[in-house]
Amino acid sequence: MTAIAEHAPPRAHAVGQAIPALLLLPALIWIVAFFLLPLVLMCWRSLAAEGYSFKAYETVFTSPLYTKVMLTTLESASVATVLALVLAYPMAYTLIITSGIRRGLLLMFVFIPYWVDIIVRTFSWLILLGDHGLINALLRNLGIIHAPLPLLYSEFAVLVGMVQILLPLTIVVLFGAMLRIDRTLIAAAKIHGASSWQAFRNVFFPLSLPGVYGAALLVFVLSLGFYVTPALLGSPRQTMIAQTIMVEASELLDWGQASAAGFVLLVITTLIAAIYNRYFSLDRLWGGSDA
Amino acid sequence: MDRSADTASGAQVRLRNLYKAYGQTAAVDDVSLDVPAGAFVSLLGPSGSGKTTTLNLIAGFLTPDRGDILIDNRSVADVPPHKRNIGMVFQSYSLFPHMTVADNVGFPLRMRTKLARDEARKRIAEMLALVQLSHLSARYPRQLSGGQQQRVAMARALVSRPRLLLMDEPLGALDRKLREQMQTEIRRIHRSVGATVVYVTHDQSEALTMSDLVVVMHRARIAQIGPPNALYETPASAFVADFIGDSNLVEATIMGVVGDRWTVRAGNSTLIHAVPPAFSASAGDRVFLLIRPEDMTVRPLMAESAAHGDQIVGTLKERSFHGDVFKLGIAVGSEVLKAKIAREDGGCLEVGQQIVLTWKNGAARLLPATDDDAASGRSAAP
Repeated sequence: MTAIAEHAPPRAHAVGQAIPALLLLPALIWIVAFFLLPLVLMCWRSLAAEGYSFKAYETVFTSPLYTKVMLTTLESASVATVLALVLAYPMAYTLIITSGIRRGLLLMFVFIPYWVDIIVRTFSWLILLGDHGLINALLRNLGIIHAPLPLLYSEFAVLVGMVQILLPLTIVVLFGAMLRIDRTLIAAAKIHGASSWQAFRNVFFPLSLPGVYGAALLVFVLSLGFYVTPALLGSPRQTMIAQTIMVEASELLDWGQASAAGFVLLVITTLIAAIYNRYFSLDRLWGGSDA
Repeated sequence: MDRSADTASGAQVRLRNLYKAYGQTAAVDDVSLDVPAGAFVSLLGPSGSGKTTTLNLIAGFLTPDRGDILIDNRSVADVPPHKRNIGMVFQSYSLFPHMTVADNVGFPLRMRTKLARDEARKRIAEMLALVQLSHLSARYPRQLSGGQQQRVAMARALVSRPRLLLMDEPLGALDRKLREQMQTEIRRIHRSVGATVVYVTHDQSEALTMSDLVVVMHRARIAQIGPPNALYETPASAFVADFIGDSNLVEATIMGVVGDRWTVRAGNSTLIHAVPPAFSASAGDRVFLLIRPEDMTVRPLMAESAAHGDQIVGTLKERSFHGDVFKLGIAVGSEVLKAKIAREDGGCLEVGQQIVLTWKNGAARLLPATDDDAASGRSAAP
């Protein structure tokens, strides 16, 4: 009896471990075949292009073009992330405090642009922001301006486009995080003397911050790779790294250089994510064990 | 203006014909209640009986469709929750997870008062001492056990010295032993702060041991209000009798009344009943006969003792030992009656034996049999 009891659990344990591994297998195969393998090939190509050297990487790090484009990319992504969060937060909060059909409708309005293709959405900004576009025409007809404002092909246009594309995702991520906040905590704050604003500021907002940080990372990483939006709405000065990589690969056919730049972008993104996670890990935000 | 806590007294709460419905269903239906200042009042009832809705109406989280709530004779209809000066302990404690114990306890002070830092710190320390958690003030809620979180919630609810404390099943999540310990603790704290307490629970023993006054709720209405012992001894309905304490409810029919003697027929026995019912009844009415298990006396059926008077004959089906008492299950017809007898009386009984059940004069009560009560799961004895 004792012997059975002692031997049975490890076997059950081994079987128990094998099942999750099996369930992971299809996804694992997919990732290896279509992500890790191409990645290794890309890395190999970036080194092998000109007879096994780091020359391509040297170019990425030393050429003023790459430095400029990389900085523009980081700046645009940062500003777009902050703007998206600031605009998404009130909307996500509105979703939280509504319910039933109204929430469903609001969510639908959030999702509709999400279902529309990125290129279509970007082109629609061309129509709105152009010299003869809706905004300039309106302002001119109202007599507020006489010459069209140079809205298009500017940093402004790129940011407007990026933020608009990022918003649905940001709202949904924030909404999901806010849903996990126990609403009775707000009731507890109110009954103990907090006005609605104080309850929000002292309880809801701090508890929503982990969600904000999570959404920030997601949106930032996503915006690092923007290609269509800066290409259509920006001027050459707003060129982002994805565009440069594209030009290297498809116009200059310098696949080695494109691979190196792509790899550097990947490493930088991973580094930023890792550092960020270290400082904004959920554990600390929730009042940390012994941090 | 500041009502000092040195003379802390409880608020008087009056509910006037409160009505609150969700859709077509009334959650609180015409509830009127006077809570005396400083009293410990329990709202007791099964889930869905309207007790938590009543509490949320008092807190101000819900607005009544009709009726009014008076706190210290002032209507609070237009007063939002944060201005009602109420403390509240929630079922899930609802401590702020991003604040330390001390910050949680200090929260009402920061919101409600303009206390100087030192004074606030002193108050927090006092409160933590009251709930015996002074050593944990720097911890976060998730680092505490359920019982400790419960105490922090108490301290937070009381720190700003509210005159009314609401508690929503505060012990529901604790294990039995801790629960009994906390019951004593809550009573001690209630005595020392003097605030009026409105306590919601579905646990009848909790309500009986802790309260000055118990309000039994059933289907959105108040079934009965009274001190614990009165509810136990003179329940107004079969529902209350069944919900509070152990009970035998035997379906019976009134056969006739001669003076003070009510003859009822239950199963095959005709019983003479000396206590007139507290409701209007006449011959032919269906009633419930309530006999508490501890009022039953049992003896084995002897050949010479014929069944007569206030007694029922049955077969002993179960006998379980509970330390101080034996609990018996005696089959009478299709029904099983419960009896609770002293340890020394139970030893000689054997399962399967024929048993004569009797009870003290006046221990049996007649209760109205309504369709409402029949729905609580009792079936008639054939």
